[in-house]
Amino acid sequence: MPKHYRPAGKKKEGNAAKYITRTKAVHYLQVSLATFRRLCILKGIFPREPKKKVEGTHKTYYHMKDILFLAHDPLVEKFRDIRAHKRKVKKALAKKNRDRADQLLSRQPKYTLNRLIKERYPTFVDALRDLDDCLTMVHLFAALPAVVGERIQVDRIHNCLRLSHEWQAYISRTHRLRKTFISVKGIYYQAEVEGQKITWLTPHALQQVLTDDVDFNVMLTFLEFYEALLGFVNFKLYHSINLKYPPILDPRLEAAAAALYALYRYIGSGSGTSFGTRAITSGKEEDEGGKDDKRTNESELRLAQLQHQLPANEPGTLMHLMEDATTVADEDEETKSCKNLFKNLNFFLSREVPRESLLFVIPAFGGVVSWEGDGSPLKETDKSITHQIVDRPSQGHLFLSREYVQPQWVYDCVNARILLPTEAYMVGRVPPPHLSPFVDNEAEGYVPEYAETIKRLQDSAKSQVLPMPGLDEGLDDPLNLLAEGVIDRAEANEAAEKKRKLMMLEKQHHEELKMELQGITYSASLSNNNLPEPVEKDEVMEDAKEELERAAEDARSMSMVQMSRKNRKLYEAMQIGIERKKETNKRLANKRKSAQKASKKE
Amino acid sequence: MAKSDSSKKSVKKEKEPLENQPEPDLSSDSDLDEDSIWSDAVGSSDIDGDSSGTSEDDVGGNGEMDSPDDGRDFSEDEGSLEHTREDRKDGNDTLQLVEESDSSEDEVAPRNTIGEVPLEWYKEEEHIGYNISGKKIKKHARKDKIDSFLAGVDDSKNWRKIYDEYNDEEVELTKKETKLIRRLLKGKTPHAGVDPYAPYVDWFEWEDKGHPLSNAPEPKRRFVPSKWEQKTVARLVRAIRKGWIKFNKPKEEPQFYLLWGDDSNAAENKRQGLSYIPAPKPKLPGHEESYNPSVEYIPTQEEINSYQLMYEEDRPKFIPRRFESLRSIPAYEKAVKEEFDRCLDLYLCPRARKKRINIDPESLKPKLPSKKDLKPYPSTCYLEYRGHSGPIKSISVEISGQWMASGSTDGTVRVWEVETGRCLRVWNVGEAVEHVAWNPLPELPILAVSAGYDVILLNTGLGDAEDNMRIKELLRVEESPLTNDDGNKTSAVSWLQHTKLDGIRLQHFKAVSTIEWHRKGDYFTTVVPMRPIFFVATKKNIRVYDLLKAKLIKKLETKLREISSIAIHPGGDNVIVGSKEGKMCWFDMDLSSQPYKTLKTHPKDITNVAFHRSYPLFASCSDDCTAYVFHGMVYSDLNQDPLIVPLEILRGHTSSYGRGVLDCKFHPRQPWLFTAGADSVIKLYCH
Repeated sequence: MPKHYRPAGKKKEGNAAKYITRTKAVHYLQVSLATFRRLCILKGIFPREPKKKVEGTHKTYYHMKDILFLAHDPLVEKFRDIRAHKRKVKKALAKKNRDRADQLLSRQPKYTLNRLIKERYPTFVDALRDLDDCLTMVHLFAALPAVVGERIQVDRIHNCLRLSHEWQAYISRTHRLRKTFISVKGIYYQAEVEGQKITWLTPHALQQVLTDDVDFNVMLTFLEFYEALLGFVNFKLYHSINLKYPPILDPRLEAAAAALYALYRYIGSGSGTSFGTRAITSGKEEDEGGKDDKRTNESELRLAQLQHQLPANEPGTLMHLMEDATTVADEDEETKSCKNLFKNLNFFLSREVPRESLLFVIPAFGGVVSWEGDGSPLKETDKSITHQIVDRPSQGHLFLSREYVQPQWVYDCVNARILLPTEAYMVGRVPPPHLSPFVDNEAEGYVPEYAETIKRLQDSAKSQVLPMPGLDEGLDDPLNLLAEGVIDRAEANEAAEKKRKLMMLEKQHHEELKMELQGITYSASLSNNNLPEPVEKDEVMEDAKEELERAAEDARSMSMVQMSRKNRKLYEAMQIGIERKKETNKRLANKRKSAQKASKKE
Repeated sequence: MAKSDSSKKSVKKEKEPLENQPEPDLSSDSDLDEDSIWSDAVGSSDIDGDSSGTSEDDVGGNGEMDSPDDGRDFSEDEGSLEHTREDRKDGNDTLQLVEESDSSEDEVAPRNTIGEVPLEWYKEEEHIGYNISGKKIKKHARKDKIDSFLAGVDDSKNWRKIYDEYNDEEVELTKKETKLIRRLLKGKTPHAGVDPYAPYVDWFEWEDKGHPLSNAPEPKRRFVPSKWEQKTVARLVRAIRKGWIKFNKPKEEPQFYLLWGDDSNAAENKRQGLSYIPAPKPKLPGHEESYNPSVEYIPTQEEINSYQLMYEEDRPKFIPRRFESLRSIPAYEKAVKEEFDRCLDLYLCPRARKKRINIDPESLKPKLPSKKDLKPYPSTCYLEYRGHSGPIKSISVEISGQWMASGSTDGTVRVWEVETGRCLRVWNVGEAVEHVAWNPLPELPILAVSAGYDVILLNTGLGDAEDNMRIKELLRVEESPLTNDDGNKTSAVSWLQHTKLDGIRLQHFKAVSTIEWHRKGDYFTTVVPMRPIFFVATKKNIRVYDLLKAKLIKKLETKLREISSIAIHPGGDNVIVGSKEGKMCWFDMDLSSQPYKTLKTHPKDITNVAFHRSYPLFASCSDDCTAYVFHGMVYSDLNQDPLIVPLEILRGHTSSYGRGVLDCKFHPRQPWLFTAGADSVIKLYCH
């Protein structure tokens, strides 16, 4: 009798009935493997891990319910239609029946993914929760070379570019960006939308290499779904800030490869939320510049009326007047702090700086960006520019009114949420290390040196009440802050020292008491201990330490005794990880020390 | 062709008959035909008169520079020209005649007599041909350059003169002729009046001729609607009806709309199908992935080299690098590949919900009651009993708690006073002592010692005189086997008086409860004093027998590898078992045959376990030189499980020959613990 004998007429039970291998699932659905893949990707169906792998350990198992779910999807039928249609076209062409082929081609079966999206993500929050991969992929494809004849169609790349810009424009304009990180792989961004933390990676703006060891069919299927998803998400987001989607862009700016800026202007003109670009100078603006100060309700009303009369896509006239008057009520504390980080600062980007990224990041934190090229709101010579972002070995002409910083300064400021002193980021210098904002240094147990510096700066910035000019003053002399930090440290050290002394005294007292008990006279004890006293003290310390360690060890092993075997094993396993972490931290600290030594020697 | 229309017409009228015929002759090679053309041309030119003389003068200079072939052509024409000049008086009529004649040879006699031979043949000669009388015709002398130049200067029309080599004479071209030549050179028709693209006149008139080309009758199909057209129309109609052909392009519906309108309806917004397991998010980058990490994150060259020695899966996936500035970061070559891997993970990786314990490891430790509440228990070493010279195998405390006996491998048995540490008596047994045990009756301070093959009963002489007497008597009486209550009447047991030590050598001891140590087998036996239950510890299990009914009550499965020691709670319901793998099991006999709790205490063998008689304490000692003291509370309420709390680890012994603490015993009345070590020291731990 075979191992899993099932008498005739008896149904399968348990894992054998619940799970189905992939091959069987493909046969069951009567589709090809490629179609099955597409279906799984689009429907979001994944293999599951059965408790017992009835058919063998090396097979992939799908849940039978998942497969039934697939089988009932209209998409299966649609794919069959498409397949049949393709055959018809092929046949018509083979018979040289061009008319029929044309006629067939003009009515290709199409399918939409909106139903699937709603099915997979019934609520908007669900969609946001799963948006990480989607954004990463869309941004990656937006960076791929749009070359005709490559494996990827050009219009899809353009579509990805458009979607990514729309997303970035929303994030930036609503000040949802929280963290940024330049890594070797690209730039990571983290935004918070509706309480969901969304992290995505954008590649560096360089020509990406299309490798051969990649199945683009799979990736393009994913991309198909992600494009639709991001489109709907963008629609919802734009809808939430009362904007029409898809946005209509200024073709001039789009041509100048500043699509993101064009989007900002669209959002700015359409919604009336804060819009940093004040500089699209026009006659009207200057006329109304005088009223800038009043900001009374009355003028607002009038402005709103005026606004109404203007065509929607008029470059952001009047907008700056509304800038502070209209505040969105539901902005939380963090958004506000993000909004005000670069407030009243004008940035100018040099040619060599990654414009796309900075054009996204700086406005997200309330700054105004201009760049070298067409469509820029400010010229390089403008007096109001406060920071120029430069990434070259040396800068020729320097304006005294502005600071010249490397791009990393912006990202570090964003992560620290304060304006860092610019000395270390000056042109031509090697900037301080760029640290990941995604690491919890305390939990990790190792704090890099620059993180400590930033922490101190943050603390000192917090302790000051934060009117804007005050902040500037505080940051003008970072040495002060550093000194403060040092003082704090010294105090802590002192306290520790005091504690140690107290402990020693106590110990001594105990010793003396003991001696008294044993009946040794004070003089004798003096004579005994006179000479080796300092040594004794050290020994006492060491002994105490040892004893403490012993006690700790005892306590540990004692509680280990009481643990159940499962918990004990778990505890031990956890200890391995903790030990490893400690080890790496120790190694890092040692390395840092040696590096510091080496630098001191030099 | 800048002539006025009227003049053109007049010329045309005159020439039409002339030109239409000779035109094809232009291409022919024969000299004669060409002559006639030229004559015609001259004639016409005369009629028109010299209209544009001056304009052509400058161009004519080229004539002399023409190649010899061209010159020859012109010279050939020359003859005809001369001839026409002679006929000029005849006017147009004569010209007509000339034209009509087939051959011009009649009129123009060739003055060249050499015939049609190449001129090269006469190149070297002084003459060219012969005249009719047979005399050589002399060549004219050629003009040299100076002469020709002078001639050019003297005569303004000199450029029109061309030397005809064939006839050996100089010819002067008329203006008309140069004009013709110029037109020919430009590739135009020689006469300006000729229209090469004149409208075609169809001479054939076939209408009303009465004779059609085909006389076939009109076929029927000309009057019947076309079948194929009908089919096509039918096909199109069908296609239109079925919607295959659409005339108005369907309106493009907006691709995106508000998909998530209202999220408040919870029932509607439930996901269909099985529970969704979201894919784990990719790991967020740490400091080391920065483009400009701190120095400590960058591996040294040695470390990078050492990665090569690692297994491929152990190797770090990402090696941190440092770039001086943002502009120097290259494109990440694995970007597409990594994204692809992520895609594969998303749709190929089996997903399962794993309960991830994200807890503080300290929280795994059970909450123990405060040790202070569980006092008293032995915690500090208070006394040491020194005197043995070998590892102390066994100790035993007298029931009153005043005396303690110890047996060592040095072959001595010592009795100590507990409170002072004074050694009271020493017996030299001669053999390594394995076990010592006091008689549990306080009035009979007899000590049982096992050494080698013997069990020796010793009279310690600790009681008062009356007791001593009784014991002596007892020990003497022991010689007769009749007094033995146990009924162990095997003859193999030998009862001998040990004269030297004032005791008996025997195998049995008569008492209410005894501890007996079986020598041959691996068994310890213990008889519980309160209930007649008998415990037998085999290697892995413990069998519990009821002595009254003489049958097995229970088999306790320890699941240990090898049991080394056993102790029974004074209550009789709980048993602790120590094993050679350092584990201790607590059995609650009322509960089950499985251990209630297994405590992994010692890293080495447990040598002994012990219960306190009155305090809720128990202890274990091991070869790792430690002894553990536990609080083991057994409640009278059966529903409440016993409470076990580790209290203290007692250290102080040193290891010798890999052995640590060999025995431990509680003081019968005080919460004190005696431990006997392999370092030949007995220690007393007090609270």
